[in-house]
Amino acid sequence: MKNVNNQNWLESNTFHHGEFWDIIKLVEEKEKKGMKISLCIPTLNEEKTIGKEVLILRSELMERYPLIDEFAVIDSGSQDKTLEVARSYGADVYLASDILPEVGDKKGKGENLWKAIHQLKGDVICYVDADISNIHPRFVYGLVAPLIRRDEVHYVKAFYDRPLNYSSGLRSSGGGRVTEILIRPLFSLFYPELTNVIQPLSGEYAARREVLEAIPFPIGYGVETSHLLDLYEKFGLDAFAQTDLDRRVHRNQTTNALGKMSFGILQTFFNRLRAQGKIDQMPDMEKFYRRFEVEDGTYSQLVQEVVEEERPPMIEIESYLNRVVV
Amino acid sequence: MTTETKPREASLEHLLKRIPEQIERLKAVRETYLTDAVLLGEIPSPTFCEEDRIRLALDRFRENGLDDPEIDEFGNASGILPGTQGDSSILVTAHADCVFSSETPHVLNVGPDSITGPGIADNAIGLAAVVGLPRLLDHLGVKLKDDLLLLANVQSLGRGNLEGARSFLETKQRPIRAGICVEGATQGRLSYSGLGTLRGEITLRIPNNYDWNGFGAAGAISHLTRFVNQLMEIPIPKEPKTKMIFGGLRCGSTFNTSPRRGSLRFEITSEDDNVVLDMEKQVNELSEQFSLETGTSVVLEIVAKRQNCGIPFSHPLVKTTRAIMAETGITPNVDPSTGDLNALIRAGHPGVTVGLTTAENLREENETIHLDPLFRGLAQLITLLQAIDLGLCE
Repeated sequence: MKNVNNQNWLESNTFHHGEFWDIIKLVEEKEKKGMKISLCIPTLNEEKTIGKEVLILRSELMERYPLIDEFAVIDSGSQDKTLEVARSYGADVYLASDILPEVGDKKGKGENLWKAIHQLKGDVICYVDADISNIHPRFVYGLVAPLIRRDEVHYVKAFYDRPLNYSSGLRSSGGGRVTEILIRPLFSLFYPELTNVIQPLSGEYAARREVLEAIPFPIGYGVETSHLLDLYEKFGLDAFAQTDLDRRVHRNQTTNALGKMSFGILQTFFNRLRAQGKIDQMPDMEKFYRRFEVEDGTYSQLVQEVVEEERPPMIEIESYLNRVVV
Repeated sequence: MTTETKPREASLEHLLKRIPEQIERLKAVRETYLTDAVLLGEIPSPTFCEEDRIRLALDRFRENGLDDPEIDEFGNASGILPGTQGDSSILVTAHADCVFSSETPHVLNVGPDSITGPGIADNAIGLAAVVGLPRLLDHLGVKLKDDLLLLANVQSLGRGNLEGARSFLETKQRPIRAGICVEGATQGRLSYSGLGTLRGEITLRIPNNYDWNGFGAAGAISHLTRFVNQLMEIPIPKEPKTKMIFGGLRCGSTFNTSPRRGSLRFEITSEDDNVVLDMEKQVNELSEQFSLETGTSVVLEIVAKRQNCGIPFSHPLVKTTRAIMAETGITPNVDPSTGDLNALIRAGHPGVTVGLTTAENLREENETIHLDPLFRGLAQLITLLQAIDLGLCE
């Protein structure tokens, strides 16, 4: 078995946003490298939160500290006041349907992310979901900083603090329900090394243009999963980094919505399995379930053996057959 | 463009003429200012627990180039924008505490014309004005000859009893020409006097050996209700103007159990310190009498007390403020302060409190400020600063 409990990777490629508090220094390093950074917020009916996101991110990261060179809201056709509110705080707003019209218009967040690559000019594109209630500049500088500082890193994922129970001094560093119930078990089975990514479904990430332009984009729920699988296949785990952005407050999703999301993710997942020959020639199943815990700021992977042993039909048991005869 | 304010050449009229232009120019820096307000406002800052909000205020003081940015031993953050001459200082202060506890989700919603959320009006937007003042002045090209002393003060509200501002003024040995207290709401507010105030909390307890079968035996709710009725019988004079407010009543937690403990918060304000003293005496006597007659424990705790103070209506600072308000299109609403202005004036400095914008649902979780009037409020503040700097308020 591969050494998937990659503690070295966890230690060297896992950051906390607090490491990058000196934004002036980041701006200097970015400018020294001649790097341009674009920020994209994909939207669909986000009038309640988009105003604050545009206000704070533009003001802090374009006007106060010029870390971001370009900032766009790319919308899927909102019916509420999303566009009006975003424009009122100075955002460049685009309809996804107006970008690359020759390829048609598909509805979904992944469509907006994909078209952003065409619309935006940056060497790095940072994506931030529009539904974050406690938006803060760390949601951007925490993600772009590893790309500014480490040339070998191509893709940086966010992860968050989801406090559950602190009584023992330990806290779960789990993701959301879909992550814990679907993604982590699937990764544990088929891509155990990717279980080092603490929150694979987080909607905030930054990546270099050359990797984004080289991978397909599912337009729906599978986009985050596909990024991980495709980039892992091409570049391996070392291309990834992840940053702890502390707490993220956002609206809670219904179980029905999560079911729908899971269905989309499964389609993406099995498409990759098929493409990589993992369905036709199923490898031996991994038997280790992997999750995370954090203690004193250090993340470590917990590996549990979960062997789903099976009993044969009772009718095949000799004693049972004898008992029936008696 | 940089404008050097020259006292001999400038006049109030000259300043007033520039207000419309200032209002328009301030709109260009709306995002920076509102961002400060949101970032400050989303940090919980109940009285006595203001450290996190104060730390951000200090960071902003540093980032905005103030000299000597510091947090003093009382927890106040301050910094100095040096003037071209620096012979004296003008103090601009806003309280950093708010009435909401740390458990309240401090999430602000930003709409196209308004911001809503706990504490945005009282006083995140006011604090943001103080914190961002150096950038606003820079944007307008205004340079003052006086030093500008900016203060984010703690422990202003409730039991804080103005301790932050009071301690700062007692220890900060600088010549202060005048002071302005900035409140987010409400635009038009003009305070130039501090009211004699007494704030108290009465705690009623049913003792363990209470005779539940005795005549008039009851739980804490019934007792407190009767006690409030008795307090309401205290005569309140119309002249000098006096007011008694019952601001909080806490008692009980279920449907079917008589509580054994309850508390009442109240405030007495009067233009005459003797009236406040006399009413305090009466509340004390009633507490004692009620305790003895009902077999309960009634304890009065005075949590805040301050005396009347003020500058006259005819003071040049007040006259100038009114003239600026009139030119800015703001109707003055004269209202004595129970806030930090009291500490400022009692420390011997002339001062006023002004409000920046209009607001709704004050001190509710859906507190809302309107953005459009904000620029008039800021222009009012900056023009007043310039007028003080030119010596027009002495």
